[in-house]
Amino acid sequence: MDFRLGEKAEDVKREIRAFLEEHFSEADRKEAAEDGGGHDWDLYRKLAAGGWVSAGWPKEFGGQDRNPYETLTLYWELCKAGFPWIGLLNNGFIGHTLMVMGTDFHREEFVPKIAAGEIAFALGYSEPGSGSDVANARVAATPDGDDWLINGEKMWTTTAHTAQYIFMLTRTSTQDRPHRGLTLFLVPTDAEGVEITAIHTMGGERSNGVSLSNVRIPDSYRVGEVDKGWSVVRFALGLEQAMGYADLQERFIQNAGAWALETGADGRRPFEDSRIKEQLGQTAIHAEVSRLLRHRSTWLAAEGKDLAAKGAMTKSFSGTSYLDDAQSWMDLVGPAGLLKEDEDGALAEGNFDEAFRQTPVNTIYGGTVEILRSLIAEVELGLPKSR
Amino acid sequence: MDLSLDESQQILVDTFSEMLEKECPTTHVRDCEETGFSSVLWNQYCELGANIMGLPEANEGLEMSLLDLGLVANESGKALAPVPFIEVAVAGRLLAKLSPDDTLLGALTEGKPAVSLAIPRPNAIFGTSGGRALIPFGTLADAAIALDGDTLFVAENGDARRSGHVRDLGSSALAHWRLDRDADSRVLASGPDATDAMRRADAEWKLLAGFWLTGIARRALAIGSDYARERIQFGVPIGGFQAIAHPLAENAIRIDGAELLCWEAAWADTEDPERFEMLASMAFVWASQTAIRTSDISLHTHGGYGFSTEYDIQMFYRRARALSSVGGGSQEELQTVAERCFDSDGSGKAASLLGGAN
Repeated sequence: MDFRLGEKAEDVKREIRAFLEEHFSEADRKEAAEDGGGHDWDLYRKLAAGGWVSAGWPKEFGGQDRNPYETLTLYWELCKAGFPWIGLLNNGFIGHTLMVMGTDFHREEFVPKIAAGEIAFALGYSEPGSGSDVANARVAATPDGDDWLINGEKMWTTTAHTAQYIFMLTRTSTQDRPHRGLTLFLVPTDAEGVEITAIHTMGGERSNGVSLSNVRIPDSYRVGEVDKGWSVVRFALGLEQAMGYADLQERFIQNAGAWALETGADGRRPFEDSRIKEQLGQTAIHAEVSRLLRHRSTWLAAEGKDLAAKGAMTKSFSGTSYLDDAQSWMDLVGPAGLLKEDEDGALAEGNFDEAFRQTPVNTIYGGTVEILRSLIAEVELGLPKSR
Repeated sequence: MDLSLDESQQILVDTFSEMLEKECPTTHVRDCEETGFSSVLWNQYCELGANIMGLPEANEGLEMSLLDLGLVANESGKALAPVPFIEVAVAGRLLAKLSPDDTLLGALTEGKPAVSLAIPRPNAIFGTSGGRALIPFGTLADAAIALDGDTLFVAENGDARRSGHVRDLGSSALAHWRLDRDADSRVLASGPDATDAMRRADAEWKLLAGFWLTGIARRALAIGSDYARERIQFGVPIGGFQAIAHPLAENAIRIDGAELLCWEAAWADTEDPERFEMLASMAFVWASQTAIRTSDISLHTHGGYGFSTEYDIQMFYRRARALSSVGGGSQEELQTVAERCFDSDGSGKAASLLGGAN
């Protein structure tokens, strides 16, 4: 038994903190939060120059062959620091997928450009009519000569407005059950017929809707076999679910603790109040359990073991416990908790307000907790399939 | 990182699991409801060395780790074993450290459940005054270790101190003990040595109770899930309804979290000692909350049958609550968690302990 992530992960922590120290100022953090797009090309190119974009890839594709604990640490530190890292996350994953499932053309045309920080991908799974029922995607790809014509609407396509391509799930057949007629394409965002509209959210993140009207895509931009796209999407969602928000929970409890230990205007520390202490204790436990579940997912992946529903457990727990804590704290700290960062009298760098606005979506996107619990009930407890 | 048990740990788990399956079916637990203690089962524990596992070799002990002790506690919890494994382990280790030649240690190695302890409750609102305390397995012990201010002492002559067996929710073999420092008591340590030693013993008790509660939760969930697969209503197994399946699934996650937290705390004892007491505290709270919640959900899954004494799940519901309460309950301990996370020395500079294993 060993709960350490290892020396290499510790090195990454030091290196990435030094990187942030040098390239990511407090002003940058605030700008990233204000923008909410999850991707910033200037910062991203600096990450790429440091080799971080392809850090987890094999050496033969220009990567650094870093282990899953190093990658975990990289994402953890960036996320906790408020770095706009969604583009990095998507690109690391798409790069990996293209290496494993792509054609020679994909590996030569896209992979080196991803590693160099020249291009970025957004993920296009959700649609106005298919959220949890992601296999029911309706965006149609129909053959037209050697090309495909794509038509329909995508939703929640975060980073589409800064990315060059969308990794898009499309319907290529309606002959069989829904998940057997899905195919993936790389759709250039500047192609004729692609229209991207901003969707703003309560949490401050900016996402997008994408409408596609007779968008012509060459067959060489297809990833994987026709009608076999479901396994790729399941794999992608599995990766996302195995992460959760333990990094943000760690930041939240550290901010709450620091606030509670400061002497307030009344000459007392909030920490002296037993209600505050109890909530600190509970929040710290939730953060620790979230961390452990995420570390376990990472360990299982690193060992090549079957994750079963362990990834779903990670996201489900982290999403619900962080939401609960954010709501409990807001009730506990009174009106000053409402104040936004930098406002006169704001508490804990505005983290109470921020967490209250941001956490509701954590139990929704990337698999709602209801979808995850059904999966856990089925896989871990052997209960019948439920809808 | 390695989150698996090694071969010897797995053998330990299997050994106790097999013994308990044979010697401690729930019918046996029911037979012991009145006293909360099974001498037959305790003899089986002693034959496997459970009474000396945590003692140093110098005291004829097996010098096994807290993780090993925790694995035994976890199996014991699954079986609701009516034995003072935790108290004997923790009080024995405390004595061996402060009073290595103590005659009480001899009694423990012979298999007598001779010593228990008064679990300190610094954040208690109620129940610590009046010079007496509820001692777990206080019905059996000859002596109890207790802290008075900064003096740690052994209160001996249990027969004269206890008020007799008091029946309780979870068959915890509780007895009120008069803890006067009279002629039948002797001092083990005083000053920081005493408070440090008792804080350590308290953390060990809480961690082992955390393991035990996690075992209760794990088994309660299995009972609830089995029932949800078999019980037919509206023509289908009720486990196919999300209203039944989801609460069970949610607790499956909590239990995995409790297990990982217990493991991490036990591992930290030797590998990350700065974080040990904080993690032990967390493990007790989280395992308490999880066991209480899971046994409640599993009982509810049974509908009215769960409430009937004929079904086993009610025993898990009562014992989860009881073991947590014996340690003061999770609400009290939450304050200790906060103190250990942030303010262990009053300086408010301990937040680095939250950053994961070092």
